[in-house]
Amino acid sequence: MLKTLKKIVHSKDEFLEIRYHKRFSTVIQFKNGILKKGERKTLDGAGIRALVDGCWGFVSTSETDENNLRRAVDEAIKAAREASALKKEKIENLSQGDVGQGEYFLYQPDKDEPGFGEKVSELQKADERIRNSGEDIIGSIVNYHVFQDTKVIVTSNGAEAEIFDQKSEIGVVAFGAKDGKQEMAMVSNGVTGGWKDLFSREDLDKMTEKAVEIVRTKLKAGYAPGGNYTVILDPRLVGVLAHEAIGHTVEADFVLSGSVVADKIGEKVASELITLVDDGSVEGAGKVIVDDEGTASKPTVIIENGILKNYLHNRESAFMFSTEPRGNARAFTYRDQPLIRMTNTFIKPGKDKLDNMIKGVEDGFLLIGMDQGGQADATGEFMFGVQEGYRIKNGEIKEPVKGINISGQAFEVLKSADALSEEFRMDLGAGYCGKMQPAKADAGGPYLRCRVKIGGQQEEGEQDGE
Amino acid sequence: MGNKEISLKALEIGKKIGADHAEVFYNRSKTLEVVIEKNDLQVPKGDTYQGVGIRVLKDGKIGFASSNILTKQAIEDTVQSALDIAVNSPVDPAQGLPEPAPLKEVEGIYDPRGESIVLADLIAKGSEFMEASRGVDSRVTVDTASFKAEIIEREILSSRGIQAQERKTKFESMAMGFARDGEDISSFDIEYIVSPEWKELNTEEMGKRLREKAVGNLGAESIPGFKGKVVLSPFAAVMLLFSPIVFAINADNVQNGISPWKEKMGEKVASEILSIVDDGSLPREIGSKMFDREGVPPKRLEIISNGKLNSWLHNFYTASKAGVMPTGHASGSDQSLPGISPNNFIVKTGNEEVEKILKKLDKGLMVTRYSGGSDPVSGDFSGVVKGGYLIEKGKERKPVKEVMIAGNIYSLLDQIVALSKESQRVMNFQVPYLIMDGVSITGK
Repeated sequence: MLKTLKKIVHSKDEFLEIRYHKRFSTVIQFKNGILKKGERKTLDGAGIRALVDGCWGFVSTSETDENNLRRAVDEAIKAAREASALKKEKIENLSQGDVGQGEYFLYQPDKDEPGFGEKVSELQKADERIRNSGEDIIGSIVNYHVFQDTKVIVTSNGAEAEIFDQKSEIGVVAFGAKDGKQEMAMVSNGVTGGWKDLFSREDLDKMTEKAVEIVRTKLKAGYAPGGNYTVILDPRLVGVLAHEAIGHTVEADFVLSGSVVADKIGEKVASELITLVDDGSVEGAGKVIVDDEGTASKPTVIIENGILKNYLHNRESAFMFSTEPRGNARAFTYRDQPLIRMTNTFIKPGKDKLDNMIKGVEDGFLLIGMDQGGQADATGEFMFGVQEGYRIKNGEIKEPVKGINISGQAFEVLKSADALSEEFRMDLGAGYCGKMQPAKADAGGPYLRCRVKIGGQQEEGEQDGE
Repeated sequence: MGNKEISLKALEIGKKIGADHAEVFYNRSKTLEVVIEKNDLQVPKGDTYQGVGIRVLKDGKIGFASSNILTKQAIEDTVQSALDIAVNSPVDPAQGLPEPAPLKEVEGIYDPRGESIVLADLIAKGSEFMEASRGVDSRVTVDTASFKAEIIEREILSSRGIQAQERKTKFESMAMGFARDGEDISSFDIEYIVSPEWKELNTEEMGKRLREKAVGNLGAESIPGFKGKVVLSPFAAVMLLFSPIVFAINADNVQNGISPWKEKMGEKVASEILSIVDDGSLPREIGSKMFDREGVPPKRLEIISNGKLNSWLHNFYTASKAGVMPTGHASGSDQSLPGISPNNFIVKTGNEEVEKILKKLDKGLMVTRYSGGSDPVSGDFSGVVKGGYLIEKGKERKPVKEVMIAGNIYSLLDQIVALSKESQRVMNFQVPYLIMDGVSITGK
């Protein structure tokens, strides 16, 4: 394939980027003891981008013999040319980063990776364990997904990369019911690698136990009163904040549309305790060594000691900002064009002990994990559901609370940060970042103490929170 | 190989290697799309796709595999994979493949105009949209807008004797944007159109609506909290209320015990003014089809009638488990096993225009977009109001920010006090403006 793609790319004068991408995925899902999904999928094709007269054209096709690829290349060139006539701001040039050349393995293939049947039986047992935990546990879901990617990327500017990647993820869900109320809890993990890597932090037994424990805690918890509080966010919530609420606002395409940090490079945007980095070259579910424009990954320091330093770029935006791309142009399948995406996004750890951080809270909450997604805007305003919450009173952890949502302006929240733990985890869990197309991303950080607004549910007759 | 040939080949292989039954779902599509980002035309896109999803049944166990490589070898491997999965799976007596049923063609879901659409037509739609939004008011920033034309061909063939094919067109446009006036930034708003007919893609009107919403949200202020009425736009109502209802009426969730309505069939679950039907046989609707993902014809269902819960959405699996007939709600592509989705989910409208209803409001919060969670299991929701404004004494309209709403969907359904006369199509939902009382509103 590499040879064919090189031949095609070098036969044209126009700038071309051809990405052949073959993906094998396996999905296994158990719900209440029943195998709901046992699937093997092959998705294979090529995505072709042509840059002509300052405009891109993109054509994807599932037919990858040389003749069809050549036809698709011509269509992409034609599309770019037609659109160019109407495009206002032409692309002047593309910035060049380190170009990927050669073979890249993002994981160590494991010869002991269990087969389909063995995985099915392990996951089935986990599903059973959840429901056998007690009468208060009424339902279970176990979700497993792995995909193996082979990519060949050839561009007119010299990228000639063959990439071998594997991403695995697991989610374990327990449903509980008591006194007419229902609750759910999810424990999940996502990695670059295989089955063994997926359970290196916590094995499947531990994950199911934890899901059951969280559900039981939620069943006995009351609602939290709304208001502004000092809270301690766990590494997953810190990761979600870093990714969703900060990370998206520094993606150069959002910056160009006038995100809240447009023109703020060099300004203080967070507490000086905060250093926030995006880095595809470190271990995590968002690992990328060579991106889908053929650029090799390097870390990007977004915020350094509270000062905004860099945005995230693809080749096009990097040229506009007179900088170099660092591996953030990503496409999910061959049918998607590369967009500016995060990889592993995290806040660097601090020097505090979690215990001491808790002791310093007079009236607040310890918040752990995500519940049903989150959302954030170009303004940095965010809202996230929290899975587990515990009241902190006079430096001590008290009763659990449920139904918590936190919201605020992300940079204001980071300005209010006054303690970061030494303990650090990359921990976004399972799931995907969505921005027109999915991407496997990871995020994390230390435990972080800050101020947020809690929008708890109000019980009948209760007064509004201050 | 032609598609029919591929499907027949797959069935033949299935039989040869020992499957009891097999089903081949073939999908071909051609898509053109033009995207605007940051107020400017971006990358025009073309995609051609074909692929198959194969289910085999062996000793009461089902296996699924899909491939978009359609060589003879790849088809053989895919059928073999599906069989391997079936063999390695636990037995589930409800598994099976449906028997053929008479199918009826639906009018107006294929627009032959689709065949002649070229990128230049979609570029023109984009220009119209920009003129009507940012062209009129330069404070508007169009973050992303897409204009898409799609031709979809589906075919299903099974050893039970199902054999059907259908061609559909889909024209779709989605736009997200905000307004910026100095340091004052509005919240992100969304506009959306979808139709099987090219002439329905009125992007000029859409641009106007997005502009009005984004600019209208400038100068937003915080307000003190209260407990009372909210007005949900059709878009917000789908996100907040109807998505959880779709979860609650999904037979799979009912059978798994996670639907909060699992024991409520025939009971009152909502205010008497709420009636919902699902009908996949309506002409010219985006969710209409001759057959579902398993070849079953879609049935018209009264889901909620005057507040009373009437029916679940079934696919073949859930129906056979419940001992009823499938309702034609199997959904999904060639790349996955059938799930369950509504076809055209239609909420009955009220008698008065939304403007008239607002005029009678003493105090209420308009929610044009809702950003946040709504947990379909417990029904608890809590999230941020986007593009919202406060209505006082029927006329004053004050844009608000940093306002959150919270409550429990399933208890609030009883507090729907009014539905507007006009309704909007949001994906395959048709929903009016809706007024709900008793919502907790947290301000500053």
